[in-house]
Amino acid sequence: MQQLLNTALGGLTLGMVYAAFALALVLIWRSTRIVNFAQAPMAMVTTFVALVVVDAGHSYWLAFAAALVSGLLLGAVVERLVVRPVEGGPEINAVILTLGLFIVLHALAAVVFGNRYRSFPAPFGVRGLEVGGTTIALTGFGVFTVLAVLVTMGLLLALFRYTDVGLRMRASAFNPEVARLLGVRVGRMLTLGWALASLVGSLAGLLIAGGSLVHPAYMDSVVVYGFVAAVLGGLDSPIGAVVGGLLLGVALSFVSGYVGSQLVALAALVILMLVLTLRPGGLFAQAAARRV
Amino acid sequence: MRRRLHRSAPLAAVLAGALLLSACGAGGRSDDGDGGDEGGGGGATAPGVTEDSITIGAHFPLTGVAAPGYNEIPTGAKAYFDYVNAQGGVNGRQIEYLVRDDGYNPTNTSSVTNELVLEEEIFAMVGGLGTPTHSAVVDFLNDEGVPDFFVSSGSLQWGDDPENAPYTFGWQPDYEIEGKIIGQYVAENMPDAKVGLFLQDDDFGDDAEKGVRQFLDEQIVAAERYTSGNTDVGPQIAGLQAAGADLVLAFNTPSYTALSQLVALKLGYQPQWFYSNVGSDADLVGSLLSRFSEGAVEGGSGSLDGVMTTEYIPGVDQPDDPWVQLWQKVWDEHGEKGELTNYRVYGMSHAYAFVQALLAAGEDLTRDGLVEAMEEVGADLDGPQLAPFRYSADSHLGISGLRVVEIRDGAGEDLTPVLVTDIGDAEIAEDDSGQDGDAPPESGVPEAP
Repeated sequence: MQQLLNTALGGLTLGMVYAAFALALVLIWRSTRIVNFAQAPMAMVTTFVALVVVDAGHSYWLAFAAALVSGLLLGAVVERLVVRPVEGGPEINAVILTLGLFIVLHALAAVVFGNRYRSFPAPFGVRGLEVGGTTIALTGFGVFTVLAVLVTMGLLLALFRYTDVGLRMRASAFNPEVARLLGVRVGRMLTLGWALASLVGSLAGLLIAGGSLVHPAYMDSVVVYGFVAAVLGGLDSPIGAVVGGLLLGVALSFVSGYVGSQLVALAALVILMLVLTLRPGGLFAQAAARRV
Repeated sequence: MRRRLHRSAPLAAVLAGALLLSACGAGGRSDDGDGGDEGGGGGATAPGVTEDSITIGAHFPLTGVAAPGYNEIPTGAKAYFDYVNAQGGVNGRQIEYLVRDDGYNPTNTSSVTNELVLEEEIFAMVGGLGTPTHSAVVDFLNDEGVPDFFVSSGSLQWGDDPENAPYTFGWQPDYEIEGKIIGQYVAENMPDAKVGLFLQDDDFGDDAEKGVRQFLDEQIVAAERYTSGNTDVGPQIAGLQAAGADLVLAFNTPSYTALSQLVALKLGYQPQWFYSNVGSDADLVGSLLSRFSEGAVEGGSGSLDGVMTTEYIPGVDQPDDPWVQLWQKVWDEHGEKGELTNYRVYGMSHAYAFVQALLAAGEDLTRDGLVEAMEEVGADLDGPQLAPFRYSADSHLGISGLRVVEIRDGAGEDLTPVLVTDIGDAEIAEDDSGQDGDAPPESGVPEAP
């Protein structure tokens, strides 16, 4: 019983991180219609920025803020300098470009920050919470992770649904030319979309790093699982991304605990294939929404 | 409809991208150069050997998941080879030591080994690290007749079947005898313990489990396996906890020692931990855990206090040991920046054994001659190892034993004398060879055995 609970709780926290990462992908997808493969190394770089701040003797929260701000800036810079030149061409060009960026950032981080495993602090302790005499596999930091992702999802939903900026971002993504005719500064909206997505990616990076070990490749498995989560949720829906992340996290945790940890990556791919075959639009595709 | 199509294109791109990413690590080469010879020529004409030099190679994970700690091994070996070179080399030949990074990825190991053997024309591979990685090249090296000495891994496959891999020699105690000695110790001293096994899911865990189960089969309540590379070991540790294990025998790499300790904290799980030699470097694990202080985890070398492990060469926690004093001198004179660590000591220790092997092979150095010399005199080599090697024509397995220790203040306190055994049913006995008490020669360079 306790094992069941702890495996589920472990999956829940991990699923929330996948969810955060999927949110970042959804955000870029919604605001620019491309999938950003460089999301993981971008987040990794900002996590190392946080580590540098911590190493300099500052508090965790200052480091946290520094990582988020550098995520915001990095997203904007990447959009302006790297993605902008291929804009207007086939979407695949931009996607391939982000793949290239993936490799470049990896290599740069290894040179600048080194390739060692390093521990990353957590602000709320790494001991499990005590409930009725038994310890459950949920740390203070785990609770923070869950809350942070839920709040982020809420903010994104509100942004796209209730604000002018959100509407403009979506318009620019769906049809840049019409949007431009209607007076939307499309270029700025794309930059904003990238910056916000990169910020959410940084959050995911910080959440998975907290209380664990980091090295330049620590986000790589999250890339794959984050993509699966986003696809599971339909790539277009923030709620879908979070639900997809949770489902995936819990499912993979149970596969690891009760079937065998060597099958985790395989299980993720099977889920991905099933979703793409049975519901190519994801669980939260428009058609499903209409039926409800 | 148009939107639907529009949407599936990026999804396809996602898949294509994922495939591409996984292929990125694979950068294989397909050199067809024919630099390999037919098992060693005569005299100084052996590949990699000239009048005044011997070129040898090695593959290590200098980057990636397995790099922490392991990337220090070649720096130690290099320091020792430089030390020997500074004293005139081996039979007047300077040792050139080429290290290639394989990132602990078998595909890369193949390509860097091809490069070393076919392009750099190394005389021998020395100390190539890792079970999955070295497995990928052991056939190639044997087909090419390249001596493949002192593989940095305790898998049985380097030495239990010399007919199949005549050029390959193990070095450290294999995981099976380590499992046997640990198993017997627990059966005799902790007969009431409920034993849980935490195993890396490959030869490492399998060989060790085989050894442990010879003595402990009935005491074992759970065996959990983790896949190297998947850093979430929560479900595995939760499984051990659920089975009620109060003694965990862990056969894992150092990063996973840190991860398992963190997860145990999260789960409020406090068994007695017994890490095999591979995963128990107190300094490395301590540095990984040091940030989670806040009273929750003790950082630094004290982080593994009370944990049991094993020992087969003296380490930096024994600064008075004459071997460690030699390594310190070598490191001070020829090392890179940074402290002497147990990983560097490991590198120097196998470098010392290799220099002895070269001396045993004599002045007319050939690849086959080196292997023959090793089979003849290998069991009599001196060196820092606490128990003798098992090298003979029938076995290429390395060090024959170790002792059980408990970590106190970052140093090992002996719980048993040095125990020696062999694979299979061989009995476990106290070592009487005197290997434990020997000291290096004054010069620090071995003499021909």
